[in-house]
Amino acid sequence: MEAYFTLVRRDLEQLISSWLLRGWVVLLAAPAAFLVVVAAREDELASETLAAYVAAVLAPLSWIVISVLAGTAVSGEASTIADSVLSKSVTRSEYIWAKITSRLVVFMTIYFSVVIPFAYLIDRYAISNDTTMSGVMSGVVLVGVLFVFLTSFGIALSTVFRNSQFAVVAALLTVAVSGAVLQFLGLKWMSTTAVIGGLPETFRGDTPFADQLRVLVVFAALSLAAIVSGVWVFERRDL
Amino acid sequence: MRVVEAVDLTKVYHNRYIALNALDLTVDKGMVYGLVGPNGAGKSTIFRIMLGLQRPTAGDVRVFGESMTPQRADLRRRIGFLPTNPSLPRDMTPISYLQFVGKLLGMDRGEVMIRLTTLLQAVDLTSAGSQRIDELSTGMVTRLGIAAALMNDPELLIFDEPTSGLDPAGRRQTIELIRELSGNDRTIIIATHILGDVERVCTDIGIITDGRIIHQGPMAEMRRLVRQRTLSLEVEGNIRHFEQQLPELDPFGAIRFERIGSEFRISFLGAEPIPTYVQRVLDLVDRTGVELLHLNTGAYEIEEAFLRRLEEDRAHSFVRASAWTTAQKLALPPGSNGATADVITEAIPAPDHERDGIDAANVDADLDADGHEESAHAGGDGDTEAEAADGGVLHSGTP
Repeated sequence: MEAYFTLVRRDLEQLISSWLLRGWVVLLAAPAAFLVVVAAREDELASETLAAYVAAVLAPLSWIVISVLAGTAVSGEASTIADSVLSKSVTRSEYIWAKITSRLVVFMTIYFSVVIPFAYLIDRYAISNDTTMSGVMSGVVLVGVLFVFLTSFGIALSTVFRNSQFAVVAALLTVAVSGAVLQFLGLKWMSTTAVIGGLPETFRGDTPFADQLRVLVVFAALSLAAIVSGVWVFERRDL
Repeated sequence: MRVVEAVDLTKVYHNRYIALNALDLTVDKGMVYGLVGPNGAGKSTIFRIMLGLQRPTAGDVRVFGESMTPQRADLRRRIGFLPTNPSLPRDMTPISYLQFVGKLLGMDRGEVMIRLTTLLQAVDLTSAGSQRIDELSTGMVTRLGIAAALMNDPELLIFDEPTSGLDPAGRRQTIELIRELSGNDRTIIIATHILGDVERVCTDIGIITDGRIIHQGPMAEMRRLVRQRTLSLEVEGNIRHFEQQLPELDPFGAIRFERIGSEFRISFLGAEPIPTYVQRVLDLVDRTGVELLHLNTGAYEIEEAFLRRLEEDRAHSFVRASAWTTAQKLALPPGSNGATADVITEAIPAPDHERDGIDAANVDADLDADGHEESAHAGGDGDTEAEAADGGVLHSGTP
């Protein structure tokens, strides 16, 4: 376990020193602050403001940043992984689980530390009688689960592709085209765009609990499948 | 005690490229084992399998008596590995990297600090300890890699091309360091294609080509594989006159020599002992009035032996391939081809080392029995032998 914690700490340090991550935090926080001010002055609806922020800022930015940082988790270290880490007394499982842990912790910490204060401030300063506490919490959790899936999927791709650019492009493209494919298959509710598009209703508390649970379970299962696949591939591949 | 044992180790990449071909390798405790072979012979692949970084397609490698797999971190803890031109985390400094390695190895903080200061001093990186790794030279990165490999004082050290990319001073320093590390029951395996490095530090040698070990044994045995005794010297003055007199060094003219400028490389194929020939060379120098600049005996022994083994191995492959091709060409009824091939293979003389009994599996006894006899016949047999060592056509390869 000593090696696992050392690797988690090392990956956290790497992530924190990443300019992409720092830029992501700034680009999430600045529009959020701006929207709070606008919502307070213009008497905007809380549910619409929250949903607009997620759809226009949080989701697209996070889609790009998480795809890049998750897609490069393993493939980005392809040159050093064998020489400086896995030739030491580290197991493959320790390494890949350390990557999964650190990336999930960082992304979720940033997401919640931006979105929770934002939701609170919007609720306080905008016209908030159209949202419910449980609706806002559900919406925040649903978006969080989408990000967990995106992280897991990106890491899984980074174990498959040796080239980090391929892994990132594959992660970006898969999410981009999945909406159309799922619609064609009659599973539009499973697409990220459908979940995000339905957020105003969710924030208002109008989305049936069963629908929310279905999305939650499906994306949690997909995340688990992505993680299991990533671990399986990584433990078997030659370095 | 056997530290590394590979049996029938085979690695095929994507069903296209055979990196290791049923390779057998044994390294015992305390050995400094030089794994020598041309580029692409499979040296790094063996190491990667030995460390559990890759899985063998077939066969098994046992390290410290246990099968190595990617999950055997406990076995890797006992191994220090220096890859070729190591890729280390560019954003770290030598100090932070060694701390990181120490933590991965489960060492406590105090132990890590003591060890890293000692090692940084030993590899002459103390002043560069806080520089980023991407600002270090190739030699410094290699030395840092050596320090990382030694962090927990492992029982087995694996160095893959440790002098690659180093300047002469760096190379010398690294070789000296390896020499210092040997002993104390520590086992060291060094892969290289620089034969001088092997000669300086190794107690045992394994020659690998095309994914197979074609010879392994003690260095002394390797030297005995060289049939002709070689002497190199450089002279100044009337070189032409000296050259004309060279055949007189042996009463039967059983010598071969080549001249590159003022340097001569003389191979004695006769039966007399090498000191006698050295004395005759010195007499010739006196007689012809040339000035002797330097004289070396055995300077090329390992190189000769290495090239000889490679040549023999290639000839061997050629013989087998020829036999197979010939069998295919014979328009015999189906079912008789295999038998024909066997007959042809038997009819074709085996390569030197097999015919003389210098077989990788049975080197000891055969060399002792064969070496003396070989000297006695060198005068008559020498031309072909010398051709083999010089990269000429082996008589065993031309049925």
